[in-house]
Amino acid sequence: MVVATGSKPCFADVPVRRTSRFAGRGGVRWLLDQPQRPSSARQTLPAVVIEKDDQYVLNHCTRYLARDADEPRHDFGQYQPGDPRARIADAWRYPIVDSYFDGASVEASYRFNSVTFVYDGRVSPASDVALTGSFTELHDPVALRQVPFLGEPSGIWALAVRVPKGQVHTYKLRVDGDWRIDPINPQTVTLDNGREWSRFFTEACQIPLTLARRERELLGRIVSHLLPFRSDQNSKFIRQVYESMDRASRERQFPLAYRLDEEVGVVNYIDKVIARAERHNADDYKDCLAIIDGVLRARYPGRDPLTLPPEAFADLYGEMARDDVPGWDRARYGSPRYFLLLLRRHAMTGAFVHPRHGGNSGTAGWAYLESRFRDADGKTLFDWRQAMEAPLGRNTDYRG
Amino acid sequence: MAGEEEVEVLVIGSGAGGAPLANTLVKGGHQVLMLEKGPLLRTQQQSPDGLSDYKRDELFATGAEKRLTVPGMANIGESFYSSHVEPDLNDEPHVYRNSDGKDYATIEGYTAQVVGGGTQLYGGVSLRFTPDDLRLQSFNAGRTDLRNDPNGEVEREARDWPVSYDELEPFYSEAERVVGLCGTRENQEKPASVDHYQPPLQPNPISRYIASGMDSLGMKRYRTPLAVITRDHEPSGRTVPTDHETIKTAFVNRYGDPLGLKSNTWVTLLAPIVGEDNFELRANCVVTHLEAEGGRATRAHYRDPAGNKRTVRFKHVIVACSAIESVRLLALSGVADAGFDRRIQASGMLGNYFVTHCFGGASAVLPERADKSKTLDSDWATDHCATADFVRANGLWAGGAIYNNTSDAALPISLARTWQAQDMDNIWKGYLGETDMVGQGFEDYLEDNFGRRVSVSFMANQVAQRDNRIELHPTVRDKWGRPVAYIVKDWHSHDQELMRILASQCGEILRRAGDGVRFDGEGSVGGQVSRIANHVLGGARFGTDPQDSVLDADCRAWEFENLYVTDGAFMPTSGGANPTLTIQANSLRVGLLLLGRL
Repeated sequence: MVVATGSKPCFADVPVRRTSRFAGRGGVRWLLDQPQRPSSARQTLPAVVIEKDDQYVLNHCTRYLARDADEPRHDFGQYQPGDPRARIADAWRYPIVDSYFDGASVEASYRFNSVTFVYDGRVSPASDVALTGSFTELHDPVALRQVPFLGEPSGIWALAVRVPKGQVHTYKLRVDGDWRIDPINPQTVTLDNGREWSRFFTEACQIPLTLARRERELLGRIVSHLLPFRSDQNSKFIRQVYESMDRASRERQFPLAYRLDEEVGVVNYIDKVIARAERHNADDYKDCLAIIDGVLRARYPGRDPLTLPPEAFADLYGEMARDDVPGWDRARYGSPRYFLLLLRRHAMTGAFVHPRHGGNSGTAGWAYLESRFRDADGKTLFDWRQAMEAPLGRNTDYRG
Repeated sequence: MAGEEEVEVLVIGSGAGGAPLANTLVKGGHQVLMLEKGPLLRTQQQSPDGLSDYKRDELFATGAEKRLTVPGMANIGESFYSSHVEPDLNDEPHVYRNSDGKDYATIEGYTAQVVGGGTQLYGGVSLRFTPDDLRLQSFNAGRTDLRNDPNGEVEREARDWPVSYDELEPFYSEAERVVGLCGTRENQEKPASVDHYQPPLQPNPISRYIASGMDSLGMKRYRTPLAVITRDHEPSGRTVPTDHETIKTAFVNRYGDPLGLKSNTWVTLLAPIVGEDNFELRANCVVTHLEAEGGRATRAHYRDPAGNKRTVRFKHVIVACSAIESVRLLALSGVADAGFDRRIQASGMLGNYFVTHCFGGASAVLPERADKSKTLDSDWATDHCATADFVRANGLWAGGAIYNNTSDAALPISLARTWQAQDMDNIWKGYLGETDMVGQGFEDYLEDNFGRRVSVSFMANQVAQRDNRIELHPTVRDKWGRPVAYIVKDWHSHDQELMRILASQCGEILRRAGDGVRFDGEGSVGGQVSRIANHVLGGARFGTDPQDSVLDADCRAWEFENLYVTDGAFMPTSGGANPTLTIQANSLRVGLLLLGRL
């Protein structure tokens, strides 16, 4: 683990906020990597500290952090040898990104997450813990509070803030005056100046984090073969889901949808799941996409694999399913079928998952089922909106 | 120890075994401390920020991939997927010995680790056992017609419960009142003194095929009693949405309920007393072992939410952390204290006679599609195979309940990940391996299955066998360095026969369900050792003979004055139905006994 030294972050060490197309103009000086912003970009409210009670914090700590064992029980290949994060379960859950509710409007609250940072003082005792990040004022660190149990400090420190959905942020902790990355959260980024920061992203994030553009495009070609959305009829339907809406309902229902395509956000879902919950599968994608790119280039000399017809990807799929892909670099990655099954799980999940996870873009996966399956009177036989929270669904009791 | 905390009653576990008793004692004025290993996840109404920690999100039931790293396991390196309130297998696995003689870690055999325990995630099926289920020794005495029982073990191992149905009946009724169930009573083979059911909601349209199949076979049916309220529920103070039909979502089995309409023990029995001065619930606290002084258990050692060691002294202790974990806790206490071990092992039977259920069923694809996303877990049940006539006519030792499942495979991801998967250890494998399901193949799969699958299940007694047992694993340790539970279990040849017969009854229902119904197959868990989870029961059975049981008729450990076990571990036989309501009724019974004793 790399730990930044010094009593405060130096000026050249500023955190980076990368913002999605719908994130705002606030704190422009932070926007070092800003994608093109459409005119519909709207104002981001400044991050605010919110209340999460002791019970909430402990509920999200005990199972994962509390333990005596110090073996690397939770290393599935995602950690460097000796990384203490391998001792704890689901380190990726930190900071805790959760739903937000302002107490009044579910729809208005949908644009935000609560993000709860945790410091485990049992592992490294401290008397003062604070943090700064791209979601708050750099030079005004916000203190974490000690979370008590039975009136005594439990050893757990925590701070919850409200952060808009769809964003990526960097942050550091100040522990007794020393600035360091979060010892729990495995996500880090190294800035251009070589400094390492901790990173998190909020729900429905569309900013690429793991896969490069070419990797995403190649993955998109493969994924579109796996999904049912590539036929003329279905692909037209997916476009219509979005285009048929007036702008107001589009903004209300899918405020965080990125783009609707034949992959209905699956590529983005994969980019996010291998950035966080399944980091141990990230190298599988990196390796296999490179191998596939090479295989297709060798097979179709002089052609960019991205421009190949669907049949080329159908052939490749069949070969991967048989675990026999001519030209596959087995020294680099043993089993193309193993990767295919991983991809099948992620594609199925990404197409129909709750959009908070970055897939099912604009709920297009659900809308496809809703539209496709109807009774004789035209009434849908997948009325998912009845159970789902606003603004996605129409349930008036459930808040998400 | 100076200043050490002392309480009158310590209850370990907040699920079906611990909560009813705690509720009774607190209302009776006694001081109760409840320790629960898992978190206290609240409903929207209870939570200060208006949000629940339970979500309508398919990734909450079956989460991100993890890989098994437990040394020595034959399935090391395999993927597993658990819900947000199931234990992490690498921190606290259950290990079973498979038929190949090797050890496997499994996600099966756990109830949820959360306040409310398994009642947070269950489908809510809340059937009573039949009167005969509680007297299988008497029922089978002298029989020579039992199928596939060459050595006479079935008759020899059957036990009557020390409590009759008539004695348990008032507690069944009270449990049905305080928990909050919907369903119908007529046509049940389980006599009831009073009907506290709330009205059921309209059945899902697919269930009419099941009703039709049952009717054509002369099977008297009733609406499956479910632990879901459909009207405002006075005992727990819960209210229902104005539109009752919105109570039906497919986020039922394996999902906690963000609105608290599923009647888990937290919302029904604990939340109503949590403000009382004589009750305290500490979540995220795991008890590591108990101590005793002679015949009195005296102290519990536990870890607080940050993992710090703490102790608490008590006058009485109730162990109710699910059968496997309760047996394990008692065995671990014995490891730490030879005197404790001698007493809890007085009959040498702690951990023995572990039972689950003979379980299986049949499935079909219906000609018409229905919206399965608006459903509860089951609509129709029948006791046709629970009657004495049926049991005797088929050469069986016991019967079972049959009911249809409506929420399975109702949502798109769950349809895929449970495809051809018999248990939690094999989730995803079926769908992923069928690589033809792509493009048009995927469309065909949706066309054939989405909203069209229906299944019928049976739940029946498993023959109790001494060799089926819960032990401490010799090498595998949990994250606190404690040996984990080790399950050794197999089916009796009579179980196999019973499962074959009941599966064929389920199959018949579907074959008679109507024109165009495509029968998909029938089967059971009989071919698998691994399937231990459906319900974990026994291991500390109660009885009237100290040499033949671990607990007395009051669920008190024989050699202890003040140690009780009230989860499913007490059951000498597993009953012909899902066990939760019976565990709750028995916990109320023991609670009332304790009221007269404390």
